[in-house]
Amino acid sequence: MQHASTAPLKVEQVTLSGSTMGLAPKMMLLGLVTLGAGLLLDLVAGPKGLYHFAHAYLLGYFFCLTIALGALIFVCLQRLTKAGWSVVIRRLAELIASTMPALAILAIPVLVFMHQLYPWTHAELVENDAILLGKQAYLNMPFFIGRVAVYFAVWIWIARKMLTLSLRQDESGDVELTRKAERLSAPAVILFALTVTFAGFDLLMSLDPHWFSTIYGVYVFAGSMVGFLSVAILGVKFLQSRGVLRDVVTVEHFHDLGKLLFGFTMFWGYIAFSQFMLIWYANIPEETIWFEHRMSHGWGWVSLILLFGHFVIPFGGLLSRHVKRDARGLVFWAAWQLVMHLVDIYWLIMPALNLAHGKVGAPGYAPALHAGFPLHVLDVLAVVGFGALFVGLVMRSMRGVNLVPLKDPRLAEARGFHNF
Amino acid sequence: MNPLDDKMRWLEKAGDVDAKAPQEMHGLLVEFDSPETLLDACRKVRDAGYTKWDALTPFPVHGIDEAMGIRMTILPWLALGAGLTGLAIAFGLQIFTNGIDYPFLVSGKPLISVPAQIPVAFELTVLFAAFTTFFGMLVLNFLPEVFHPLFRAKRFPRMTADRFGIYIEAKDPLFNRQQAELLFTRLGATGVEPVLSRTGRAPMPVMIHGVGLTLTLLALIPPALIVKSRYSKSDKPRIHIIQDMDFQERYKTQSAHPLLPRGAASMEPVAGTIARGELNEDDHMYRGMAGDEFVRGFPMALTESVLNRGQRQFAIYCAPCHGLTGVGDGPIARRADRLAEGTWVAPTSFHTELVLEQAEGQIFHTITNGVRTMKPYAAQIEVADRWAIVAYVRALQRSQRASIDDVPPDIRAQLAQ
Repeated sequence: MQHASTAPLKVEQVTLSGSTMGLAPKMMLLGLVTLGAGLLLDLVAGPKGLYHFAHAYLLGYFFCLTIALGALIFVCLQRLTKAGWSVVIRRLAELIASTMPALAILAIPVLVFMHQLYPWTHAELVENDAILLGKQAYLNMPFFIGRVAVYFAVWIWIARKMLTLSLRQDESGDVELTRKAERLSAPAVILFALTVTFAGFDLLMSLDPHWFSTIYGVYVFAGSMVGFLSVAILGVKFLQSRGVLRDVVTVEHFHDLGKLLFGFTMFWGYIAFSQFMLIWYANIPEETIWFEHRMSHGWGWVSLILLFGHFVIPFGGLLSRHVKRDARGLVFWAAWQLVMHLVDIYWLIMPALNLAHGKVGAPGYAPALHAGFPLHVLDVLAVVGFGALFVGLVMRSMRGVNLVPLKDPRLAEARGFHNF
Repeated sequence: MNPLDDKMRWLEKAGDVDAKAPQEMHGLLVEFDSPETLLDACRKVRDAGYTKWDALTPFPVHGIDEAMGIRMTILPWLALGAGLTGLAIAFGLQIFTNGIDYPFLVSGKPLISVPAQIPVAFELTVLFAAFTTFFGMLVLNFLPEVFHPLFRAKRFPRMTADRFGIYIEAKDPLFNRQQAELLFTRLGATGVEPVLSRTGRAPMPVMIHGVGLTLTLLALIPPALIVKSRYSKSDKPRIHIIQDMDFQERYKTQSAHPLLPRGAASMEPVAGTIARGELNEDDHMYRGMAGDEFVRGFPMALTESVLNRGQRQFAIYCAPCHGLTGVGDGPIARRADRLAEGTWVAPTSFHTELVLEQAEGQIFHTITNGVRTMKPYAAQIEVADRWAIVAYVRALQRSQRASIDDVPPDIRAQLAQ
């Protein structure tokens, strides 16, 4: 391995071939068509269908957004810690994060469907509701839209800055560019923490505006990292099957990605349990209601799937060093955790659809507990559509770009990297 | 002279008594000037089959584990085992102490409540795994080691700065000084140095005895103080170290309060408050009443086990006065008769028309609230047990007025004999 890693890089090792690039527009087209089919399907179904489409759209959208956010913070963290090993993977993360402007545009339908998603946008509900009245200073449409705009401004700025600094170094090889990125990463991490926390509060937590949990932002972040690391492992494996990054990303780097995936699986479990236990122990109705939705009429099974599927089973599965160094083992668990991340987002968003359904035509904001379990073909269409669109966007960003930062001062260190 | 040789001076200052003792060969220190030649030499030593040897480098050298043929450590397995042990101890301890040995209800949660036990389980798992990893690493590396004959080698200090070395112990079965020197010179060694150590064990420095004695005496002081205070009396009040905890600014349950109604710190419950699990809505079950009337019949199914339970409870609470058959000839009643107490009211026989005609609800009411000189038994006998006693009283009454029709047909023949 060490011998191969010192050989000079060939062009086909670092750039995507034309035949693979041809997939990008096809994937994007497939995604848009699928999403369009979903929209048509629910327009036929009447006003309730629009509610379901809005939630399904948010599901697919937020799933992709978390992966891009995970990529963004991954880049910042590698810069902040002056990491050597991850240089060969960093460009991929930079490119995934660079889809942020497209994701900002795709956020517009979420704002269009605000009435279907967020009960606090209904003036007639708010004026009869003491809790919502109290939160009106924060949860109102102009401020909400403004905040979402600020989040995306920050994310787009960090993502662009990180990518351009890295790309400029491909040309000039200037070491100062690395230092610049490292200096930028410290404030970027702070901005990221603030924006992701409040984006979680705004986009997901306010689906059920009576309820609140201060750890929610960290929960979203933990899930994002699990999602991104899974995508990174699967993405590099896919690129290697196309001839790219071969002999560049070695078993040593996969081992490290596996360690991070394992660590963030643990972190997710830790945060999810912290949120659950405090609410469970205090047992205050206004807090337990959120888990009540998710532990009854069918949702209890999804909660159990998350407990075991997102934490207990992959924790055992990823514990061993041999699994993390075994290509098939690591790919299996990365795919598993990506699916679980999707289930997690589904579990966060979809119970709110019950609230929305209970709300149609109702005089007040009255959470309907008995609306059941709303799995629908729309959810599948939204996830497949967004998945295809997102993969297409990421591949499009790879056009004419080296997938390895060729003149990074730590590239040699990264290629010679060896776990003990 | 190399400035790093200054490092050797501490050994001379400390008075290296071993140097004056008879010496024997301890091992051979070989010096290299680059990690590449070291790695190459390591592979050769590994392949030659040496077992008691080590490589010395001033910084971690990539790939040296493989070059030296070092097998994967068992430390991860130790950590896993310790983590699982910590997990098992945490759950076992919490389940046993709070759920079994001393059941204590906290916040209305179940006595064995897994979510509440997870934080402790998590911490103990991490604690056991971390301690085992840390101390296991020390033990597996034979650390801490205070002194090693290598410390005397002239070339050793530079191996913490800019030189690399291989040390082969004389204990190695393959050890042969001439062959080894020849091998290493061919491999590009920049120097070879034999390392000597004294034969046999070194005597203990005299100072150690003094230090050990002093430490032992000092260690005896705290237990001695504890023993003294356990077996002596003092008139002084105890020392309050944590004042805020010993004297809290709060009202205790039964103390007076200047602001609250009734002038007491403990408030009365809101009118109509019913304790959890004591709603007792079922009038038949809890009062034996239906409206203003006593109920006839039982609120539960009459089974053999109910009657057996009734018989036992009757023997405990009722028979001392009413007698085992219920005619009113229990030992207390007989003694009272013998003493001829003027205030004594003889217990009622259950076989009088009065009791025979009473509704089951009224008998329940009598047990619950008492009648004449009979005291109420509500505090002593559970509701279900009171009804079991009523059932047994009914059985007693029937037993005294039975006809042949009461005997099951298949047993009548036995009675006739």
